[in-house]
Amino acid sequence: MNRVIKVARMQLINKWTFLGIPMAILLGSTLLTFAIWAMLPPGAREGTLYSGSGQAVMWYFLALGIQSLTYTFPFSQAMSVSRRTFYLGTLGLFAAIAMAYSILYYLLGLVEKATGGWGFNGQLFALDWIAGNHPVIQVLFYFVAMVLLFMIGFWGATVYLRWKATGLLVAGIGVAALLLGVLAAVGLNDAWPQVGAWFAAMQVLGLSIVLGLVCVALAGGSYLTLRRATT
Amino acid sequence: MSAIDDSRPIFIQIAELVESEIVAGTMAEETQVPSTNEFAAYYRINPATAAKGVNLLVERGILYKKRGIGMFVSSGAREKLLQIRRSAFQVQYIQPLAREARKLGIDGDQLSDMVRQSLAAAAAEGSVIQ
Amino acid sequence: MRHPSEPAIEVRNLKKSFRDVTALDGVTLALEPDRIYGLLGRNGAGKTTLMSILTGQGFPSSGEVLIHGTDPYENDGTLARICFIRESQKYPEDFTPAQAFKAAALFFAHWDQELADGLVADFALPLTRRIKKLSRGQLSAVGVIIGMASRAEITVFDEPYLGLDAVARQIFYDRLVEDFARHPRTIVLSSHLIDEIANLLEHVVVIDKGRILLDEDADSLRGSAVAVTGNREAVEGFIGGYRVLHRDALGSLASVTIQGRLGQTQRSMAAELGLELSPVPLQQLVVRTTMAAQAETPLENHQEALK
Repeated sequence: MNRVIKVARMQLINKWTFLGIPMAILLGSTLLTFAIWAMLPPGAREGTLYSGSGQAVMWYFLALGIQSLTYTFPFSQAMSVSRRTFYLGTLGLFAAIAMAYSILYYLLGLVEKATGGWGFNGQLFALDWIAGNHPVIQVLFYFVAMVLLFMIGFWGATVYLRWKATGLLVAGIGVAALLLGVLAAVGLNDAWPQVGAWFAAMQVLGLSIVLGLVCVALAGGSYLTLRRATT
Repeated sequence: MSAIDDSRPIFIQIAELVESEIVAGTMAEETQVPSTNEFAAYYRINPATAAKGVNLLVERGILYKKRGIGMFVSSGAREKLLQIRRSAFQVQYIQPLAREARKLGIDGDQLSDMVRQSLAAAAAEGSVIQ
Repeated sequence: MRHPSEPAIEVRNLKKSFRDVTALDGVTLALEPDRIYGLLGRNGAGKTTLMSILTGQGFPSSGEVLIHGTDPYENDGTLARICFIRESQKYPEDFTPAQAFKAAALFFAHWDQELADGLVADFALPLTRRIKKLSRGQLSAVGVIIGMASRAEITVFDEPYLGLDAVARQIFYDRLVEDFARHPRTIVLSSHLIDEIANLLEHVVVIDKGRILLDEDADSLRGSAVAVTGNREAVEGFIGGYRVLHRDALGSLASVTIQGRLGQTQRSMAAELGLELSPVPLQQLVVRTTMAAQAETPLENHQEALK
């Protein structure tokens, strides 16, 4: 059997980390939202009820990105797995899980609409600005968002593994400087209206592509950092 | 496992231990000796080292190999070892004895008396090699 | 198929520096297949760095490592033949020993579950307790079990006995000899408990300050040095011409460890001079050699500077 697949199986030996916990978070946060909605006084129930609890599992994926590297990479070395194989197996497994959740989110969105917002006129999954898009675009957006969070965690953990706190600090300052630089450039050129228009025009597909490119950059960066990292 | 010390190569010590067993009669001629892995496990030594010691005895004709079965003590091995030990006796025991006796001012007559007494005592213990 | 004369591990002029620290300073070694090697040296001598580079977990600043002729770094085909458990090996935090063994069974083609089960019983290891809750000794036992049951062609243990008591260590040595006899493989064992493992080793490599000090068969080392004890003048007269590894003195009594194998004539001469000759255990030999080399190094550097 291919060693990349073995890495994925190793990550799944403890079923909770990649499978149980995300599902528990999804179920838990959804049920909790329902409970809160149910307890709201009638007056507060007018109009659409929004909840961000659908994001909860996404934030777990950020933690999972950190954890799947820091906990498992040193062990994979003892299992005589190359860095490349570890990287491909772990990212491949996460991509498969992220795809499954993306499709699940889309399907839950359909259910949400069909049941009149779970009977509460609520919006958990079928957020207006996403749900109007083609199913493929919806799934793509969820997928990119999940992979992005995972990659941020994974990349951060890789930088920490290789250069310790100093590296993380430098990387953090670098990213912050980059963002501030962009903001300053926009502000100095009085370009906010254009930027706003650009975002508005880009819509979900465009955003997915931009975030997807960030994912690719993080994935490439993680691999190059990991290639020369030692435990 | 104190039988092994650091003074000399272990394979030589293993060979000597087997020789002593043969001389003492605990490993009789034409009987099988333990395998190298058994030696290794018993003395907690590297199996390759144990094999080297056993092979040394094969080269000297003390042991011989039966294909697929193991190592056996050659017939006449004991006599052969006794011959070797007798000829080494002078260098190994008598010379240091004489040296020490001279240091302590024990003369030849006194020494031979002592040797005679010790021989008698050993005979009483029944430990004389026939 | 393995070529009989091909070394299992070949290391050529390996150098490794971490910022301003030189961990390995030109290491060249060739380890034969199916032997037990001892890699001995003080803490910080470069043992762990060397082991992680030759198992492809680390990489050198310069130089070359060949495992059966191929570089192990990022090479899964070669890595699959190697198992290296670190002294401070990390495990996924939420794993139990049973899960760690399950993972090892995935990756090591020759994994022997029966052997692993036997060792679990020998070490009385709790299989279902989280690894982060294990004692230091139990953690070491997990590493020992993975290393042994992997039956990897090249198995490397880095000070595997930390926290193991004397009984558990003896179990490890006994099982190692037993299993090695049935399934010969190349084993590298780093340790500073030299006396305990001396008899298991077929070959000894001593490393100090990133350099190889000694690379010799254990059996040819045994008896290669001798301690001469007696009247100081007599001792000094006797040892002329030999390399002195160590000197001790107590009043007019001197004890000097010299490198060299004494013949029958020299032994008789020593006896006539009233000198006592005693064997030097491997542990002491390694310590003396290391210390002698350290005492000599500044001189060498000085001579090189003069050239």
